[in-house]
Amino acid sequence: MNPLYLVFGPILLSLIAYISPQGWGKYIALALFGFLMKSSITLYTLLPAHGYLMLGRYLRIDPLGFTLSLQVDQLSVVMLLLTALLLLLVALSSWSVAKNSNAYFALLILFAGPIFGVFMSTNLLWFFIFWELTLIPMFFLIGFWGAERRIYAAMKFFLYTHFASMLILLAFFLIRQQSGVFDMTLVRESMLATPTLIWWLLFIGFAVKMPLFPFHTWLPDAHVQAPAPVSVLLAGVLLKMGAYAMIRMGILMLPESAERFAVILLVIGLITLFYAALMALYETHLKKMVAYSSISHMGLVAVGIATLSASGLSAALFEMIGHALIISPLFLIAGFLHHRTGSWQMKEMSGLMQRAPYLSALFMLAGLAALGLPGTMGFIGELTILLSAIDAYGVVMALVAIGSILSAGYLIRSFRKVLHGECSPLLAQSDLRPDAALLATLVIFAALIVFFGLWPGPLFDLINPVFNGGAL
Amino acid sequence: MSAFAILLTAALLGFGIRNLRWLKGFAFAAILTAAFFALASPPISGYTADTLSAFFGRLMLLTLAAVILGETERINIVQTLFIGAAGFLLLQSTTLLAFVLAFETLSILSFILVARMQNASQAEGAVKLFIAGAVATGLIMLGLALFTLSGHPLNAPLNAPLGVLESIGLWVMLAGLFYKLTIVPMHGWAADSYALVRPAHAAILSGIAKTVVVVALFRLFDAWLIVSPLSINILLALAIATMTLGNFMALFQQRLGRILAYSSIAHAGYMLLAIAAVKSAYAPAGLLYLAVAYLFMQTALFLLLDRLGNGLSDLDLNDIKGLASRDRFAAFYLSVQLFSLAGIPLLAGFLGKAVALFAVVDAGYWPAALIALLNSALSVGYYAWIVKQLYFDDAKAKTRLTALTAAPAFAQLILLAGTLYFGIAAFSIFAVAF
Repeated sequence: MNPLYLVFGPILLSLIAYISPQGWGKYIALALFGFLMKSSITLYTLLPAHGYLMLGRYLRIDPLGFTLSLQVDQLSVVMLLLTALLLLLVALSSWSVAKNSNAYFALLILFAGPIFGVFMSTNLLWFFIFWELTLIPMFFLIGFWGAERRIYAAMKFFLYTHFASMLILLAFFLIRQQSGVFDMTLVRESMLATPTLIWWLLFIGFAVKMPLFPFHTWLPDAHVQAPAPVSVLLAGVLLKMGAYAMIRMGILMLPESAERFAVILLVIGLITLFYAALMALYETHLKKMVAYSSISHMGLVAVGIATLSASGLSAALFEMIGHALIISPLFLIAGFLHHRTGSWQMKEMSGLMQRAPYLSALFMLAGLAALGLPGTMGFIGELTILLSAIDAYGVVMALVAIGSILSAGYLIRSFRKVLHGECSPLLAQSDLRPDAALLATLVIFAALIVFFGLWPGPLFDLINPVFNGGAL
Repeated sequence: MSAFAILLTAALLGFGIRNLRWLKGFAFAAILTAAFFALASPPISGYTADTLSAFFGRLMLLTLAAVILGETERINIVQTLFIGAAGFLLLQSTTLLAFVLAFETLSILSFILVARMQNASQAEGAVKLFIAGAVATGLIMLGLALFTLSGHPLNAPLNAPLGVLESIGLWVMLAGLFYKLTIVPMHGWAADSYALVRPAHAAILSGIAKTVVVVALFRLFDAWLIVSPLSINILLALAIATMTLGNFMALFQQRLGRILAYSSIAHAGYMLLAIAAVKSAYAPAGLLYLAVAYLFMQTALFLLLDRLGNGLSDLDLNDIKGLASRDRFAAFYLSVQLFSLAGIPLLAGFLGKAVALFAVVDAGYWPAALIALLNSALSVGYYAWIVKQLYFDDAKAKTRLTALTAAPAFAQLILLAGTLYFGIAAFSIFAVAF
């Protein structure tokens, strides 16, 4: 299989989906995302025990070292598998999108190519190209299909993340100038003249995408205004792209700088964890509460990354996957409730349990997983990060557990406000029957949360070789 | 047979062809023939064809063909051929005298081009262009006189060490050239002129003539700039001021012509930065890439405004609200070229800026590159705002816009192909520049 199909195929296919007869876009999207999932599994089976699987080099510009070099290792394939799974579930949960559905699915398809490119490209400049290209479909998806203040959110998202990207590009130029290569697999062996400057440029650039405090302000707006399936992509894929880049470049590519500045990442991760949790605690807007919960969990991921140990990084990767699977149903349910009731306020949705018991059960399951209930993925992720952090930085890291207490606070509060109590008039007059595709999506998410919560072994088998294979 | 001679002859013969279709066909034939003979030097001292002049000259001819394709007036087609001839001459100039002669010819042709106006505002734009051009010419002549006083021959390349008087002369000349290239603080006229003259003329002035001048200027002056560190510092300062002011001013504009005019000023800043990076081996490729990308993007956008506004130059953001729902192809062409100007990847504008700014980093001026990158991010503010009007806003019931007909749409396709091709295929530019 030519790997170019995976990165450029979706870009061309998005045009076909756009001009195809109305209603065909969703089928094209589903077929493509299925193909991407199958290809990701194939890549997994082909991986060597250590190092990269070379897929090909294309478009060589030798004087600049600008070559589309496509290679994958365990870390990239884990991200590819997660992305393909989420794309499939997002397509499924978007099945009832009626407004310009072909354009909507064409943009989802357009998003798939660059995101695969990000995880497959080992050339820094091409990595950046794919990184930036993800902005365009997201900009249109938020700006066209979003809620009331969608245009503001789309512009803010675009500008904020584009500014951060410029820092990343400058870092890549400095790396190329000082090491003579754009190939991220070779940079580790090079002597860089200004590693501190490069690390900080990359750190800020990736911190915006993850997002970490104080670079997070674009995300609550983007999440609130984006349609629910796009929020899933934002939280499940785009934020993970930031965390992936932080691991791949901030840690694995620049190990010496990472060691020097790990404490800064740790402190910022902790601040993000607590700040976002406190913001969620005071939030009455359901989707915004979920958005802050998402940011708080990314703070936890940052703590895991900051341990710099194989176990900590594995835990962070597990938490990244867990977070994607846990936060997605919360966003989908919040979006569904807003779509049907017209309100974002939790107090106007009280009594959901009486009107929609299955939906409430799924909301509760995802919420409990988010607060780290044993038996769910959330518990495994939080526990392993906690243990790794204590192992790396001492008992003081037990304060990470306070983050879980705070998340229990805002999530249980949301259960009380939304699920229990008298059925609100707004809820009473709304049709709360989800369509079959959305329900199926939520059930798949719930099953995965519980399955990997009870039986995390297979997922750790997939993740552990990423950092135990000498990458560190 | 040289490209210059072919285009000049075609332009002169073109006066005699009365039928618009015949004239267009004749012009395309002349352009094709000129492109074929692009590597042949004209039989004039000081002008030599090489791979660089042939490469950029051919791309210039392609954009001129796009201009002619959508043109509806015979005289404009003839003038476009004249400008093509002068552009080739400028690209092939290898000495100071040859450069100045070709540059002045191009300037005079620009004045004649914009002198054909439809209303008072276009007259204002034309007058401002003429006055700016006259000032620039005055400075260039003064610089040339100072340079001559030193006794340095005018027909020799500038690669020998130069004395103080020669350097002062060259700087005065550069001031004149910067006036035309809209470098701050000599940019004031451009915001009005580009925005007020007919957009198709602005496409030629800002998209084609400007890039030709930049490429020719770099070819001639790079040897002198490499050995003149003071000049580099001045160029860096001017470049930063130009891009920053251009981008900030563009943020506050309502009229599309003025947004593009300030965007053009900002891009002049990026190009000047690439010139300042002359000591990097990547500077020629960077500048050439930026010029090629800009040639396609800016020409396409002004031509699109020309056709949508039916030759009028006063379209504003309100006029294009909801264009995507009315004419999705026009909105698509506009968006892609705007995203390219903003530096979004897989479009020529990104690689143009990337290679140019890498050259700046490679030359050791990374803070300047950082400022340029932040400027580029800032510019997304106004480019994305235009795209927002196209796609996210509702169309007005009454519109002043005219629909894009087949010929201008095909012209846009040609220019779009250029923007997309050079968004990926960087090897052709590196092959020429290295």
